[in-house]
Amino acid sequence: MMSALQVLAIGFGLAGYYALVAVGFALIFATLRIFHIAHGTVFLMAGYVFFFLYRVGGLDVVSSGVLSVIVAALTGLAIDKAVYLPVMRRGGGLFSVFIASLGVALIFEAVFLVFTKGIVTVARTTALGIVSVGPVAFRLLDIFILGVVIVVYGLLYLWLHCTRRGLEVRGLTDNRALAAVVGMNVDQTRNVIFLLASALAGIAGVLTAYDTGLAPDTGSRTLFIAVVAVILGGVQNILLGSIVGSVSLGILTAYAGFFFPEWVTFSVFAMMIILILIRPRGLFG
Amino acid sequence: MDHIFFLGTLMCVWVMVCLAANFVIGYTGMMAMGQAVYLGVGAYASATLNIYLGVNYFAAMALAAVVTGAVAVLTLLPLLRLSGFYFALATLGLNFVFFDLFHNLGPRVEGSEGLYGLELPAALGSPHAQIVTGLLITIACVLAANRLVGGAFGRALRATRDRPDALIALGKNPVHYQIVIWGVSGALTGLAGALYAATLFYIDPTLFTLNASILVLVYVGVGGLASNAGSVLGAVLLIAFTESFRYLGLPSVLAGPIQQGLYGALLVGLMLFRRQGLVGNHDFQE
Amino acid sequence: MTSKSDGLRLENLAMHFGGVHVFEDVSMRIPPGQVTACIGPNGAGKTTLINIICGVLAAPKGRVFLDGEPLDSTPPHQMVQRGVGRTFQDVRIFPSLTAIENVLIAIPDQQGERLRHLFRPGRSVGAEERRNRDKANALLATVAMDDVADRPAGELPFGQQKLVSLLRAVATGARILLLDESAAGVEIELIPRITALVRRLVAEESRGVLLVEHNIDVVREIADHVVVLQGGGVIASGPCDSVLNDERVIKEYLGRIYNA
Repeated sequence: MMSALQVLAIGFGLAGYYALVAVGFALIFATLRIFHIAHGTVFLMAGYVFFFLYRVGGLDVVSSGVLSVIVAALTGLAIDKAVYLPVMRRGGGLFSVFIASLGVALIFEAVFLVFTKGIVTVARTTALGIVSVGPVAFRLLDIFILGVVIVVYGLLYLWLHCTRRGLEVRGLTDNRALAAVVGMNVDQTRNVIFLLASALAGIAGVLTAYDTGLAPDTGSRTLFIAVVAVILGGVQNILLGSIVGSVSLGILTAYAGFFFPEWVTFSVFAMMIILILIRPRGLFG
Repeated sequence: MDHIFFLGTLMCVWVMVCLAANFVIGYTGMMAMGQAVYLGVGAYASATLNIYLGVNYFAAMALAAVVTGAVAVLTLLPLLRLSGFYFALATLGLNFVFFDLFHNLGPRVEGSEGLYGLELPAALGSPHAQIVTGLLITIACVLAANRLVGGAFGRALRATRDRPDALIALGKNPVHYQIVIWGVSGALTGLAGALYAATLFYIDPTLFTLNASILVLVYVGVGGLASNAGSVLGAVLLIAFTESFRYLGLPSVLAGPIQQGLYGALLVGLMLFRRQGLVGNHDFQE
Repeated sequence: MTSKSDGLRLENLAMHFGGVHVFEDVSMRIPPGQVTACIGPNGAGKTTLINIICGVLAAPKGRVFLDGEPLDSTPPHQMVQRGVGRTFQDVRIFPSLTAIENVLIAIPDQQGERLRHLFRPGRSVGAEERRNRDKANALLATVAMDDVADRPAGELPFGQQKLVSLLRAVATGARILLLDESAAGVEIELIPRITALVRRLVAEESRGVLLVEHNIDVVREIADHVVVLQGGGVIASGPCDSVLNDERVIKEYLGRIYNA
């Protein structure tokens, strides 16, 4: 019998994945107003590249991981350059970009479907290490993921608050037009945002591929929860909003998955609706 | 020949769904990404009424439309506080919610995932009867749709889409029009769902997922926003196109993904080269 | 004091955004059958005043009456039914509707806008639509715009968009019209059409007009009364000629315009 505390530990593990995907999505949405559905594609891309390098290619874990994250970052940037920017340049509004993003996600998902035939692929071959503290067993991987999240959020905080580029990014969240007037290079900052956000989704993708494995719809499902997390937290405060939303949803989905496994997505959505009714602009909006 | 009739009736179903989706997306500017939900509610409602309560199927279809309209309005009310992307995402999320609902609570025949055993009247009992009935219903729907959007009501919808704040200043309430058209759209989709169930003889939750909603979005986007002709054209052309695809003899494992990839590419291509679709009067806003 | 034809009365309105005071104490009357102009520098709160009257903004202090009845608790979308219509400084036209549709949409109580009338047998809805089209066309003709009636309003030049938005407010039938900068940004040759239209609304239909305007020539030409808003309150108010020639007004406000 699993204790309530054990489920909580699982929840924090899940929260780590959500937090990595959510913060990148929030970064792009808060600064560029692009509703980047294909962020889930970037996540998948990293996972599958990792699987390919590590399991098929026989590369060691670390090099495979790093290479996959780089591929993810470039994929995100390429999607912006090849699709979003041209759509906007041809006079398309943000909703057109959103639809195009959906199209990109569909294309990639279809490609992955063809190659995997929809079967779940798990990259790791060995059981995961576990440490027990009293009655609660922690998976070492979850602890590692939480460590990664803490480092990533810490670095992001420093970057946003202490570097010139970070300041420009925060300027974008406040006022795009103003940022352009002040003379910052919006195009270059845009590239940095896409690279960075995609790399973070890539880390989550690699870890998921290693841990529970990927199916072609894992990307869109993870993204959906991450987006709900961002909405829960509110986009005004990128870091705080993402992390609080992700932790809430991690715990929620862990408990729901344990007690009512048939109702996990339902509970995520119900929570979003309830919160929207109470606080239309998110917890920190 | 029966297969052609079957396809024709399916086209009728999707034409109705696209008309309904275009009312809200194209004419009123509400980003509806959960049309499959209402298709499912209509299908489940009519099938349940028919199988378990013995209601005549035509009466069940009418009731299904009413029920779905009501469900649509009920699901819309909490979402009205959202705007733009958040609204779109919430309607998209409805697909997941209703999948859980259909899957966990939907009635099912013992030993299967879904529902079958409809008692159909003669006018719906065979493929060639179905295509005639289906066409008649669809033509009536197209005529009604033209009347709906052609006059003062349609003008108010488009004004709601263009500038709700200005409409308020003219003494009209945009939220009123949003709720009314959402209900109408839901009811029409529910009716289509009832016809869908009769056409397939069997329904289960996997028919009414996000994929089906995206299909609607692609049909409407290709046909053209804010145009009834666009709704008809998009559904008919794309269904014919994907069906002809089937004759290429691709293995069935590939057919699904290839169709999905193509639709994805169509969406990207539309946004790049022809945002208003084939005969649309509007494009995706903001 | 209060009567059926009192018009619009603002009493001791105050407004602030956060800690910034827009105005402290503004009272004025917009009687029917007259043009009341409201002038003053940018930021004096002229548009804010319109937003308060229409219920878009809530004033922390003060009240608004129409013909003696309080207007405060009326939701914005029912203002027109109460008798108050407005235009916007930034036009806010329906860009994808044609010019005539922009006017048509403003006509109140159309049966064709209601679902239950739409599918009733008989041709009453069609006949109503034709009547309304004639009405809207006639309105467009008064500003010589009937030739562009079927063009999407978003494609019209800015001045014509302003005219359409003015006609839109007129078509609501509201007895009191709040016109926010109707002449600003309008091509010079269109301005006489605006002034003639406003004069006619006042003289023939005895509507009350609040004219928020920067163009002093327009004010001089059509205003009966002028209220000068500045520094958080009304600094002058009275008949057009005396206010525009008032030394303090010239010094504080008009002088700056003329010297600029």
